[in-house]
Amino acid sequence: MAATRLSLFLLLFAPLAFFAAFFLAPMGVVLISSLTSAQETVTFANYARILFDQYHWDVLWRTARISLLTTVICMIVGYPLAYFLVHGVSSRTLRRTFIVLLVLPLFTSNIVRSFGWMVLLGRRGLVNESLTGLGLIDSPFRFLGTEAGVIIGLVYINMPFIVIAVGNALAKIDRSYTDASSDLGASRFTSFWTITFPLSLPGLTAGALLVFALSVGAYVTPAVLGGGQVTMFSMLIFQQYTSVFDFNYGGALSITLLLLTLAMVSLSGIVGKPRGGR
Amino acid sequence: MARFILAAFSMLVLVYLLVPLVIIVGASLTTSEFLTFPPQGLTLKWYERVLADRSYMAAFSISTWLALSATVIALLLAVPATLAIARFSFRGKGAVEAVLMSPLMMPYLVLGAALLQYGSAIGLVRSFPALMVGHVVIIVPFIVRSVLPQFSADQKALEEASRDLGAGPFATFFLVTLPQIRGGAISGAILAFITSWINVELSIFNVTPALTTIPVKLFNYIQYTVDPTIAAVSAITILVAAILLIIIDAVFGLDVIQTKK
Repeated sequence: MAATRLSLFLLLFAPLAFFAAFFLAPMGVVLISSLTSAQETVTFANYARILFDQYHWDVLWRTARISLLTTVICMIVGYPLAYFLVHGVSSRTLRRTFIVLLVLPLFTSNIVRSFGWMVLLGRRGLVNESLTGLGLIDSPFRFLGTEAGVIIGLVYINMPFIVIAVGNALAKIDRSYTDASSDLGASRFTSFWTITFPLSLPGLTAGALLVFALSVGAYVTPAVLGGGQVTMFSMLIFQQYTSVFDFNYGGALSITLLLLTLAMVSLSGIVGKPRGGR
Repeated sequence: MARFILAAFSMLVLVYLLVPLVIIVGASLTTSEFLTFPPQGLTLKWYERVLADRSYMAAFSISTWLALSATVIALLLAVPATLAIARFSFRGKGAVEAVLMSPLMMPYLVLGAALLQYGSAIGLVRSFPALMVGHVVIIVPFIVRSVLPQFSADQKALEEASRDLGAGPFATFFLVTLPQIRGGAISGAILAFITSWINVELSIFNVTPALTTIPVKLFNYIQYTVDPTIAAVSAITILVAAILLIIIDAVFGLDVIQTKK
């Protein structure tokens, strides 16, 4: 129908033109330049450089290690909180308050939240002062500029995403399953372990892969809490684009990071799920 | 017993989520010249200093205008697109939706670098429009995601009724369709605004000393020095976030975890 086609054209022309010009074209330029040599010929040398350089493998391994630890800690800490928010709070007002508290950090910039941890984790920050005050350690522990500090920051920044993903999965589970199991004599723990937990696994996996992808691509937190001493993959990209000015090589690094992220996200099957506000 | 442990543990985690924010607000009130927590004495002088500092006020205003204009443009692009996706069946619909949603899965640093490289080729770098197009791209998905579920089948019947009664497509859109998707559009717009307002990774490639957003300014500052002024600036952003969040919760009921009624 001609009228339908005209309406469709009018509705979709501007958004698609905008995305073609400022999203697809820039990504296309990066892809093409990543396959271009300084002499403007087609080459895989930029990718080969990533693949055959020990330094890159070190950075990649560090990035993977930090992201993996971050994800595991987020899962361990986030799951109980999600369970509590869904099953442990009976008052609606209280639950809403808790959810606002959970989401508030997501509404503040990574830089502000990392700054908070910078103040907390400093040599004379609250964490060290408390630990020495309690007599748990003799001299201040060095957090800033170490992987431990970066992981603490990344766990903090990404945990709400796991809580939201797991919470949504838990909320969808039909209560009659657990009711039936307890009617049949299963203990609370058995019900949880044999019914609720397996049914919540898709949410946990989705949340975990999202957190892993966000950690792999993180820039601000490792830059601030790592103090330039914990190089993660995103920092290599930033260096190439802002101080080395090798866009071809920077492009290859960008595409590599993008592929890593997309692999994680598509594994989790959560296309269109949270990133940012909710 | 298990219940008690779970509740206690959850409370600890919630407290942990607030600690860095409380630390910043607390440290911003110190009378000392250096950053300290707990604060030594209470004063608002660092806030006065921020309000008197032209460069901070400029960054606040650039961030706000950037987020506002990007949100308005994103609404103008995303609402018609979601209308097309929800109300028409056409070839490539899945692809259109995927393209509009995909910035959500991009590391923002990668997109920022791409826009810098592409912008240098077409002469769109380190300017307000260069910042804005990137922000529009990353916030469109938030609006699409909030608006799309608002279109329902019964509304389609209402729209058809309106057309049958002689209303034109525009009258139908503004009088029938728009009021029904308004809630989703507004909450999507607030999320979009805040996403733009707090972004560092995308903006960082296209700022200049005179044209910088508040989170990027903080980022550049924090790597060299930290003082109570920075804490005051950060505290202001936390306050803005808290206000917006409470508005969303009061008006729409924050439903990030959907439990059955």
